[in-house]
Order: sequence, then structure tokens, then C-alpha cells
Amino acid sequence: MTFALWCVVVLPFASPQDTVALAEVAVHAAALDRFAAGQTLLTYDKSTLELYAVRSLGDLLQETSPIFVRQYGAGMLASPSFRGTSPGHTALFWNGVPINSISLGQSDLSILPVQATDRVEVQFGSAGALFGNEAIGGSVHLSTAPTKKEGLQGAFSQTIGSFGQNQTSLTAAYGNPTLRFQAKGYLQDQPNTFRYRDISRAGAPWERQTHAAFKQRGVLQDIWWQAAPHAQVKASFWWNEAQREIQPLIGSSTQDRQADESFRAVLDYRYQKKSSVWKLKGAWVADKLQFNAQENQTSQGLLGLDWELPSAGNWALRAGIRGTWMNAKLSTYTATEQRWEAYQSLGWQEGGRISVSLNLRQLAYPKDLVPFLPGLGMDWRLFESDQTSLHLKTAFGLGLKLPTLNDRYWEPGGNPNLRPEKSQNGEVGFQLKQTGNFSWSQRLTYYRMQVDDWIIWLPKGAIWSPENIREVHNQGLEYQGESSWTTGHLNWQANISYTYSSTRDLTQEGSQQLPYSPKHQGNAGLQVKRNDLALDLSGFYVGPRSIALGDSRILEGFALGNLGLTYSGTKWKSLQMPLRFQVLNVFNQSYQVLYLRAMPGRSYQLNLTLTL
Amino acid sequence: MNKFSKLILPIFLGVLLFTACDPTGEERPQGVYDTGVLILNEGAFGSNDGEVTHLDPSTGTLSSAVFEKANARPFAGLLEDLVLEEDRLYLVANTGKVEVVQPGDFKSIGAVDKGLDQPRSVATARGKLFISDYGPYDANYNTPSSYVAVVQGFDGGVVKKKISVSSKPEDLYAFGSYVFVAGSEGKKVEVLDANAELPFKTLEMPGQPVQFFELNGDLWVFCYDAQKVYFVSISKSGLSQKEIRTFPIAQAAGRIAQGDTDTFYVLTSSGWPDYRDGISVVSILSGTLVSDWKKGSGFYGIGYDSDRQQVYLANSKGFQGNGEVLVYQKSGAEAGKLTVGRGPSGFLFR
Repeated sequence: MTFALWCVVVLPFASPQDTVALAEVAVHAAALDRFAAGQTLLTYDKSTLELYAVRSLGDLLQETSPIFVRQYGAGMLASPSFRGTSPGHTALFWNGVPINSISLGQSDLSILPVQATDRVEVQFGSAGALFGNEAIGGSVHLSTAPTKKEGLQGAFSQTIGSFGQNQTSLTAAYGNPTLRFQAKGYLQDQPNTFRYRDISRAGAPWERQTHAAFKQRGVLQDIWWQAAPHAQVKASFWWNEAQREIQPLIGSSTQDRQADESFRAVLDYRYQKKSSVWKLKGAWVADKLQFNAQENQTSQGLLGLDWELPSAGNWALRAGIRGTWMNAKLSTYTATEQRWEAYQSLGWQEGGRISVSLNLRQLAYPKDLVPFLPGLGMDWRLFESDQTSLHLKTAFGLGLKLPTLNDRYWEPGGNPNLRPEKSQNGEVGFQLKQTGNFSWSQRLTYYRMQVDDWIIWLPKGAIWSPENIREVHNQGLEYQGESSWTTGHLNWQANISYTYSSTRDLTQEGSQQLPYSPKHQGNAGLQVKRNDLALDLSGFYVGPRSIALGDSRILEGFALGNLGLTYSGTKWKSLQMPLRFQVLNVFNQSYQVLYLRAMPGRSYQLNLTLTL
Repeated sequence: MNKFSKLILPIFLGVLLFTACDPTGEERPQGVYDTGVLILNEGAFGSNDGEVTHLDPSTGTLSSAVFEKANARPFAGLLEDLVLEEDRLYLVANTGKVEVVQPGDFKSIGAVDKGLDQPRSVATARGKLFISDYGPYDANYNTPSSYVAVVQGFDGGVVKKKISVSSKPEDLYAFGSYVFVAGSEGKKVEVLDANAELPFKTLEMPGQPVQFFELNGDLWVFCYDAQKVYFVSISKSGLSQKEIRTFPIAQAAGRIAQGDTDTFYVLTSSGWPDYRDGISVVSILSGTLVSDWKKGSGFYGIGYDSDRQQVYLANSKGFQGNGEVLVYQKSGAEAGKLTVGRGPSGFLFR
């Protein structure tokens, strides 16, 4: 309602004017920026996110990062696996607030639309000291930012596509030096009536998917206010609702339905005096999940206080405390819980040549103090010339995951005696950069990780119950390369990445590779732009992976290609009308990410955006 | 010997060697899977990767995923039961289908892949296929609409009728024009008229009936409750209960194997949270009972190879990957260990 009013009031009065850039908003800059020396990071800026604007965070990460996203069908549950860890080993933040479900301990990336975020940052490896609970395999940071432009802006976007796809979004924004607003709303309707081969039946006949419809809508709002010369306030909220028919496995005809609704709100207050900064953060996250007739509701409130010395000579310092209050009302149990965290970060850098980060965190929850979490990282410029630089990056850190509320309280089967899952992660890598007409960057990282007390649900007769049972040893190589250059009127950009990942369950005979952990994964992209016309080609490969421990059944690897064409030359006065056409799965590959989960073949999307 | 004889004679001898008589009087070559042990691998919930493993006990050779190998497509279901009748092998998936294959080579003959919900078992009678089915879950995960589906012919096809029965029907047994249904949740055996395709009679049981078997020419059904197990004999002619043999075996898991003569191996499980599995051995006519013949965890199925007098015990290994089968002599001595597919739950000895 707020959003609707805001659009109605603001948009008609939007007037063309010259764009004036405003200063960066510095209310909630993630610790990722300053205390993550040596860690492997991936940042998606606005231009990349625009290419994925009508797709989900799961699609973005699967197709462009070393993360394996377990997709249970088109628009169905999509959960991330970093460096061979489980979906619950990924911490997910929105504007600095952890938003993983407190009952499930993970997030569904398919109901996090890319258009709802302005920046995505991905951090690899255990970083419990920096990010707390669940940052074992890595962490994903979504953030929204109010407009950087002065005056009124607005955008309307409409997408139509194959299998009945219909998506609409509306954005309105206003900015002046002391007050900025941004409001977004989106509607998605994806009937998902794609055709697939029913390989469970003789002759593998073509069938049309009839129970995989997906609908989603949401509203976001950001408000930033320079309350006083030294004080800033930023408030954001996000309401999202998704209704899904759960796509049955091939050969099955289940008719399950799921509805997810989330409300997230965060208020940041930043006060700077001389060289020190105080930050107060309050947040509220409420999730409702209805699976058929079962309804589960959880909520958490968070209050945190940070004190930071961003720059004291070569040093930077941060210390803070955070309290979280959780409440869960599920179909089989109710539970409340409080958690407290104290953390400290220390950064040191010398002339841009070397930077070191030391992070420490202590977390307490009702059962106990969990192990103290340190993390240490270093970024060392080994060599630099006019155009070339070589950096050594290395990091070591511990991570942990507290047993989820379901793990401990689910009736029947919950196990209150579970220990937290614990991890140790070390990595070392080199980054070589070249600037100039043909600029490029290459990074190669070797990582090694051990996860102990990994929680697995096991059958105890007819009841399943979780246990700390698995010990996993992961190691691998990650290569990322990107380059950009110009030939005549053409501007080129290319990127390529490859990941080798060995994830061994030490508790199994022969230390077997974990299920759904492909050893090989890679992606590549090429963009060429001439004036207002841009063509982008991308592809990704996921290697063979077993569907269970051992190699009794191996799913074949698959490679998919996408193509996009954008024309942004259509304008009328100050109204810009970029048009984008995309072909997904260009080669019409028949594939399954997870066993017997049908995925769509070639599909088309046409998007028109009106930007004021 | 001329060239023709050299060629034909081995083929002729081969045909003689591998030819078996079937009840119809027609002869067919004996297939790879006409002998040995067929191991049901139920598969894991959410993966639907049920399959069948074949064991040649004489050589110890294991063949995995025999359905997929024979048909170049996955079984794609949770394998609940394997029934050999009318020279056909029925693979029952509780995810909603019944595949019909040739017993010797597992080549597909047909299927019932529409109109079923959670099928449990199959029986043939009067030229028809009868399929017990839990029916759909309601909002509270109860199954008030259980039924026995009727399909004309033995080779699969369309469900022509659903006969309502009590909740959660399990095993079926066909005799003449009657089909006996083990109504587990309702604690009753329901007798269906296979000609009229209607319920005919109901027999109350002392516990949950789950499995029929024959002993000395009589029909028996195994029932259990939390404290005891019951072996109930039923008069096939009178369609009435004859006698009940009761044993104080608590926490039976609903799975048994028929050993020599009147010996039965009964799986037990304390369930969550203690979780202790076991096997008790009873002789139902002599009344002897050996509790905890074996103890452990992960027990998920049991079978008895009467030719070799060996007990096969399936262990699901938590459904995390391949399962395990332990083979015991009647004495209890371990005779072997096999790695099989996911969720081994039962055996068919050929």
C-alpha cells in the first residue's frame, strides 16, 4: 500500500532534468569491504544484475559462479552448495541481516528475485568470525541502496516469455542531498507449462508439465535520511510472497503446494564523530511457509551495536555485539531462543601493498558457548608495474552452524543434544591483473576445508532424527578470469571460470564423494557492445555427480548456453526504452540438475523497460 | 560332422539347456533372472531411485539396476513390492505405478501408470490385476480413501474400477474368485469377489494384518500390534478365521520371512528414540520363540532362501547411499555381506 501510494504520488510529477550524482550512502557497508583480506569474493554490480533482472538469485549464482545450485525443478526450491558443503552451510544476508530460515537453516534462492536487490556479493570459505552462524561454505550478501541520482526517477518493466511467463515491475525513486527514497514492486507469473521427456515411461514420450506453476509478488522500500551532519538513518523493508505448485518428480504425480511469505525490515543508524563511527542496527524478519495444510511461522528480531575506527593510521578496528530473539511456531512444535554474539575485527594495511585482517567472534546460545571463532587473512601485492600487478591472497578461518530449530525441536525426531557443526577453512591464491587497452585479471585459488559434526537426518525406525555423524574433507581449485578490450567501435568483455571440487565423506568406506557435489564446474561469458546494441553469450557446465553416497547412480553432466540481445537506443525526450531479448538453453538440452527433476528446454524472454 | 551340424547342435543343446516349461504349456528360454535372488531396493524418498539388484548365489555375482539395464529407462519410483504371478513380474512403486516385466529378462511388458496413488501390492485373479493402494493423503496425512484398483488383463493398462477398502491395505492373496486384502490400519482382512469386483466379506483381526502366506495348504496372515504378533489361519473354503497363534514379540516392524516349515523370522524395532532393531524367530506350530536372534540397527527387510537355508537381512544404511545385505546361515553364522542399491527392503528367491 505504501508503495502504491508512493508511485501514484511521485511518478506523475517526475520531470526531466540533468542527472546529478549524489554521495555514496555509507550506513551499512558490509564488513566484507574492509575486513575480508585474502578471501575469495565475487561482486555483481548493477550492469550484471540487469542481465538477470527477470530471473532468480539461484539462476544468477548457478550460471556465473563456482556455486552449485541444487534446483528441484523450474522455479522450485534452489539451494546453494559452496565448495561441496550443504545448503545449510551458506549464510545469507539482506542489508546485513541474516535471512536464512531459522527453522530450516537455509534459504530458497528461487524466491529471491534478482530485481529485488541492487548489489550481490559472494564470499567463499568459512568466515564465522566475520559473519557468524552458518558461514561454513560461504556467504551471500544482498543489499539495496537508495538512488545515487538527484531528483525523481521511475522505471516500468514488462517481460513476456515462453511457457506463459509474465513479469511486471515498477520502480520509483527520489533523491536529494539529505533524503532519498526507492520503492520497487514486482509481479511474476510463470505457469511453467514446458514440455519434457517422461523418461519413466516406455518410449520416453513428451509430456507437458501440468503442476509447476509459480507466482510471486513483492514490494521493497528504502529510505535514507541525513538526519544531522554526523548522523544518517537508513530504513528498508521487503515483503515477498510466492505461491507454488510443487513440480512432481518424473514418473510421479504428487499434487503438493507451497506458499512462502516473508517480511523483512531493517533500520540502521550511523553516527560519526571525529574518526570513530557508531552503528546501531535493528531488524525484524518474519517467515511463513505453508506446505499443503501445514503452516509454519518463524520470526526473529535482531539488535546490534558496532563501534568502528575506520582509519587510524594503518589500522582499522571494529567491535560490536548483537542479540537475536527467535520465535518459531511450527506444525509440530513451538520454540523460542536467544543468541548473543560479540565480535571484533582488526585491519592493518601498509601503503596498499599489504593488508591483513584479523576477525574474532564468540557466540552463545541457550545450550552453551560455542567454540571461539577466529579468522585471519592477508592480501600481499608481490609485484607491481605500470600495468601489471600480482597479489598473493591467503585466508584461514573457522566456521560453525548451530543446529537449526527443526534439528532440535521437530516432533517427533528432534535431537536436543546435537552439537554445532564446525569447519576449518584455509585457502591460498594468486591474482594477476593487467590494465590498459586489453585489461584482464586472473585468479587461481586452492582451498582446503574440513567440516566436523555434520548433521544428517537418519531413520530410526519410522521416525527420522538428526545426528552429528559426518566428517567431510573438501579441497579444490577455483579459477576465475576476466578481460575487457576494444576493437574499433566494439567493446568486448569476457569472463571464464572453472572449479574442481573434491568433497570426501571420511565416515564412509573409501571416503566417497558427497552426493550432488560435481567435481567439475565451469562457466564462460562474452559480451560485445556497439553503441546502443549489446550482445551477450554465456554458458555453463556442471559435471557428473552422484545422487547418493557411493557411485550407484551418476547423473550426467550438462552444458547450457544462453543468448541475449539488448537495444537501448530507443528514447523519447527523457524516456529511455531499452528492449532485451533472451534465449535460454539455446541448444534445447534435455537435462536434470537433480535426479528426475525435469527442467525446461529452449525458452524465450522479451523485456521492455521504460526508464524515466 | 558337417558345418551345419557344428552350428546347429550347440544351439539345439543350448535351447534344451535353457528352456523351461511354464504353466501355460508354452516353452520359453530361461532368462538370467529366472534363477537367483532378486533384491528390492526401495530407493530414497524424494529421489524415487528404487531398483532391483540381482544376485547369483552360486557365483556371488551382483547385477544392479536390472530394470534400467533391461529397458534403457529408470524405474523412477519407490519400489514397494515385487510379485511373481502369471509368468509376469510386477514391480509396485508406491509413488503411483506398477511396471510389468518378463521375469527372465526384465523387459517391459506394460504398466499401470495412471490412476494410482500409493500402490502397495498386486494379485491376479479371474484375468484381472488387483492392486492395493493407500489412496491419497488427506490434509492430516491420513488415508481415508484407500482402495483396491482393478485392471483388466495381466499386462497393465487402465484402472477400470476402484473398490473401497479399509485404510492402508497391504498384501493381497488371490484364491479362486476371491481376493484377500490385508487391511492394516483397520485391523481386518477384507475378502473381495473378483468376478463382481465388490467387497464380499470382512474378517476382524487381532492386530494389523500385513502379510499372507501359505503353510501346510492353509492360508495364514501375519498381524502385529505394539506388544504381540499374531499368526492367524483362514479357511479358504469357509472364508472364516480358524485359529490364532500369539507370541509376545513387542515392537514388530511388520516384516517377516518364512523359513523352513513353520519357522518365521520377525523383524523388530524399538523405533525412535532408543532405536534398537532385532530379529526374533518363532515356530508357529510348535510355539517356540527365540528373541533377539540378531540385534543391531538399520534392519529394513528380511528374506529366507529355502534352497540354501540362508537368512538375508537388509540394512538401509540410513538411505544415504548403497544399502547392505548380510547373509546368515540358519545357525546364525554370517555367510556373506553384499553391497546393493539404496534402501534394500525385501527379496524374491527364484
